[in-house]
Amino acid sequence: MTGLAVDDAAWASAWRTRSPLDKLLLCGGLVGCALALPVWPGGVLVALAAVVLALGPARVPARTFGRAVRWPLAFVAVGALTAVVTVDGGGLGWAPGAGVRAGELVGHSVAGGAAVLLLATTTPMTDLLDALRRLRVPAAVVDVAGVTYRMLFVLLQSLRTIREAQTARMGHSTWRLSYRSSGMLAAAVLTRSWDRARRLQEGLAGRGMEAGLQVLPEARPSSPGFLAATAAGLAALVAAGVLGA
Amino acid sequence: MHIAEGFLPAGHAVGWTVAAAPFVVHGARAVVREVRENPESTLLLGAAGAFTFVLSAIKLPSVTGSSSHPTGTGPGAILFRPPVMALLGTVVLLFQALLLAHGGLTTLGANAVAFAVVGPWAGYGAYRLSRAAGGGLLPGVFAGVAVADLATYVTTSLQLALAFPDATGGLAGALVKFLGVFALTQVPLAIGEGLLGVLLFRVLTVNARPELERLGLLRPAATEQPTEEAR
Repeated sequence: MTGLAVDDAAWASAWRTRSPLDKLLLCGGLVGCALALPVWPGGVLVALAAVVLALGPARVPARTFGRAVRWPLAFVAVGALTAVVTVDGGGLGWAPGAGVRAGELVGHSVAGGAAVLLLATTTPMTDLLDALRRLRVPAAVVDVAGVTYRMLFVLLQSLRTIREAQTARMGHSTWRLSYRSSGMLAAAVLTRSWDRARRLQEGLAGRGMEAGLQVLPEARPSSPGFLAATAAGLAALVAAGVLGA
Repeated sequence: MHIAEGFLPAGHAVGWTVAAAPFVVHGARAVVREVRENPESTLLLGAAGAFTFVLSAIKLPSVTGSSSHPTGTGPGAILFRPPVMALLGTVVLLFQALLLAHGGLTTLGANAVAFAVVGPWAGYGAYRLSRAAGGGLLPGVFAGVAVADLATYVTTSLQLALAFPDATGGLAGALVKFLGVFALTQVPLAIGEGLLGVLLFRVLTVNARPELERLGLLRPAATEQPTEEAR
């Protein structure tokens, strides 16, 4: 357990052992379809496909999937509502075709969000970073992102522990105390991150680190069957989306 | 406040990605150069990215009775400079999209422009202006962090207004709408994040003075007293 539900789901997913590039191709295709196809029926079909694949073959917990979309949906709801309200001299009113426009915005967002979540809940970040390395992103950038990923769980744990201790000492009982405690919390997390980085560097220097933090990646060969099913499924989605519109 | 996946039309998503690319590539080149010259920088930069991610997870009390989350890029821009934050901010945005479902992949470019480019540069500019005008470290930090947050929110509102102009008021009308709706949470949050930055740096001037001196934020203690610098 890492403490981030989406990351936990990715490590436990039945698709964990599939090739990251295969999953990137599938989810990238779904994201593209969600963006380019009309919401009805293309966007709806993309959202259904992403949810069925996640909850079915990939065995992602429905609760995790549902909880992850709550905050994005809040932004989408507020943003879509604001986009379809019009302001004139007399006050607020609905823009022409407000219902259709709001539905399109929500549809594109839900479909795209579900496709991204399918990738996030089936592919751990370490696999994606390795895929980025193979896609020729500079090694130094991937290394920095890898250290960020590995260190953030330790820091999140520190954050929770320190905040719990502050709360137990009434450190968040008033606004004034809460801001003071939050400042001390941020400073403690920053100095701990520096301290950990320094100790890591000393440890690695002692082991003769000379270039990069590359580790042996697990071999995850691409599946011709998965790729063929992805191509067929995406082609069917595009056909249904274009012909049904 | 990140723009959710799929919310921007395809043309805008591509356009903002193209706009963000030079800044992110410039940041990546700066990181590659830094790591080539000092391999140990990998760990410090990774720690900076993790700190930015974690800082955005700290809950601040808000006027609505609930809580809000800081952007975290203001302190990062002051500590590590805006070019590095362009890359680190984009990495953090990618992690937020894939680990927290905040933001998205097609909107990564638009969010990077607001969160990793405009916010850090505006915040760093406000910090430098404040210091150049004779302000101390802490007033400069408040200005820098609050402006970074506000600039991020104004940029996001502008991006939404460009994508969804108002039927009668056009771009200006849409901008007023989006600024007004998100101001309810973002303006108090900017002030709150500025205060958090002041409290953070006040603790750092006592507990992590050598690191602040190494980053060039404070002059060595032999030539200046900490209390004067922090005033």
